[in-house]
Amino acid sequence: MVYKVMQTRNKVFLETFAVTLMILIVGFAIGFFVESYRSNKIVQDYKSFEVESLDLKMQTYYLETLGISSCASAIRENFNFADRVYDEGLLIQKYEDESELNQNILLDKKRYVLLDEQLWINSIILKKKCNSSFHTLIYFYSQSPNVINEAQQSAISKTLREVKEERGNDIILIPIAGDIGLPSVESQLRMYNVSYLPSMLIDEKIVLNGFNAKDEILKYLQ
Amino acid sequence: MELITIVYLIMFFFGIYFLMMFLILFYRHRKDIESYPEPKRFPSVSFIVPAYNEEQSISNTINALLAVKYPLGKKEIIVVNDGSKDRTSEIVKSFMKNHKEVKLLDKPNSGKADSINQALKIAKGELVAITDADSYPEPDSLFKMIGYFEEDRNVAAVTSRVLVKNTKNFMEKYQAFDYVVIAWSRKILDYIDSVYVTNGPLSIYRSEVVKNLGGFDTKNLTEDIEITWRILSKGYKTRMSYSTNVYTTVPSDFKKWVNQRVRWNLGGLQTIMKYRKYIFRGKNFFGFFVIPYVTLSFFLALIGVALFMRYIWIKSSIWIFSIPYFLRGYNPFRFMEFSLPITLLLILGLIFFILAIWYYKAAIQGQEIKNKGILSILTYSIIYRSFYTIPLLICLYKLLRKDIRWYTK
Repeated sequence: MVYKVMQTRNKVFLETFAVTLMILIVGFAIGFFVESYRSNKIVQDYKSFEVESLDLKMQTYYLETLGISSCASAIRENFNFADRVYDEGLLIQKYEDESELNQNILLDKKRYVLLDEQLWINSIILKKKCNSSFHTLIYFYSQSPNVINEAQQSAISKTLREVKEERGNDIILIPIAGDIGLPSVESQLRMYNVSYLPSMLIDEKIVLNGFNAKDEILKYLQ
Repeated sequence: MELITIVYLIMFFFGIYFLMMFLILFYRHRKDIESYPEPKRFPSVSFIVPAYNEEQSISNTINALLAVKYPLGKKEIIVVNDGSKDRTSEIVKSFMKNHKEVKLLDKPNSGKADSINQALKIAKGELVAITDADSYPEPDSLFKMIGYFEEDRNVAAVTSRVLVKNTKNFMEKYQAFDYVVIAWSRKILDYIDSVYVTNGPLSIYRSEVVKNLGGFDTKNLTEDIEITWRILSKGYKTRMSYSTNVYTTVPSDFKKWVNQRVRWNLGGLQTIMKYRKYIFRGKNFFGFFVIPYVTLSFFLALIGVALFMRYIWIKSSIWIFSIPYFLRGYNPFRFMEFSLPITLLLILGLIFFILAIWYYKAAIQGQEIKNKGILSILTYSIIYRSFYTIPLLICLYKLLRKDIRWYTK
């Protein structure tokens, strides 16, 4: 008799289990949907950026070898592209922080770092070829910082955003994860003697380690 | 998936599971939640009122017990004066002049559990009703409770719904809310034979059963939880009469509230330790639901606190380590930029939060509390419930310092 009563009442545990499972499945489904949407967006954006990057490269190539393109137009395109890649980089960073299910975002990030590197090289060429006065500000940061560095990086990236807002059309700001596992990035770090993350490299000449206030950075961008 | 995400997911699973279980049981039984078996016979009842320095409240308690309707000569009230240093004894004696059913047992101070045990020796009733000296049962209490004993010979204890008498300040008001929620959830557990606390303000026991079990545990900080678990572990049933109201006085300030909750937590842990061997054993829900549920609730609360502390640490550490940068010109307004990212955990958290609000809403439906609006529910669930962390942490600290004598025999 006791067992019979228990069996009848046991039902509620199973029913609750089923309902809980359903709720969790719905939650997971929404979570997967949101993260898949972001992941797809990054992939789609990357495709269009890749085309733009190649186009930019071609423009610089024509300018460099054939001299048939306009410096002003190439620099303008370079800036536009840099701004959009920078915004996309922030978006990827945001998605990366929020991602709980999809760990493949690191691969997408590596692709963007490579795009950033291409943009940087392109900017160096344009500066030389067109004798232009715009500045390149490369921000090397750590992909997996400790608590102290996280505070520092947060302060630097927000300060750089202020610098960019103030000197928008004068600076190409390119954030690059220095420890993302790309040999090309590592060789750049060696080439410019960047041994500490986070650091800033201004115009391929000045290396600023750690946090620097906005005014200090602006001094180097005169 | 990171370990911390998995911990959150486990928390959400159990949290949602228990909320849903309560809601399903409630909607299945909501029509008969207030019903009770009407008694056909009236066994003798001994009220036992342990009292220590209760001169402020004892008169009202005795008056309330005298007003409880029951056939003449079948009710006695034994007040145990547990070595009070005030006028408790004199007040009881003054009642004894006009009410022969009121009796006084004067004894040196030895604690509540021992006071009850001493009274059990002289109690004549077939049933014993334990009442706190600052609690006031309604006149129809016995009538609504004793039918359960008649309905099922296996029922050894019946408890009541405790409501709050003093509801002036914030702490009192939200304890009133809390007590309503606790009583409701206890009644829901009644539907799966899992009433695991027979409260101090008013619970009735079969005298014979309590005596055979050796009376109340004098070494446990929450003797009411312990006796219930002992009753359940021996295969008896405990029930709850949701329509029986008893009013009690709750701590009026935060410090007293914390002390009370620390005692509840420690007593609960003592009881878990004592009965851990019964887990997943026996023929009733005690081993298969009560012990795992209470243990899990405690651990989930601890993990919840740990996650909360972790979150606070992450946020505050970035603040702390950013101070040198603020001093060097980093704009603090930039730092305070806030975004609420839509993540899987946020979605599950929202689901959990909505279910919790639904749970509280269901619990307070039709109850005698002043504010039942969404603002009160939010204040209760977000502010008042977060206070639970403090006694839990103190309890943990006391455990780590071994500031508690384990009684696990």
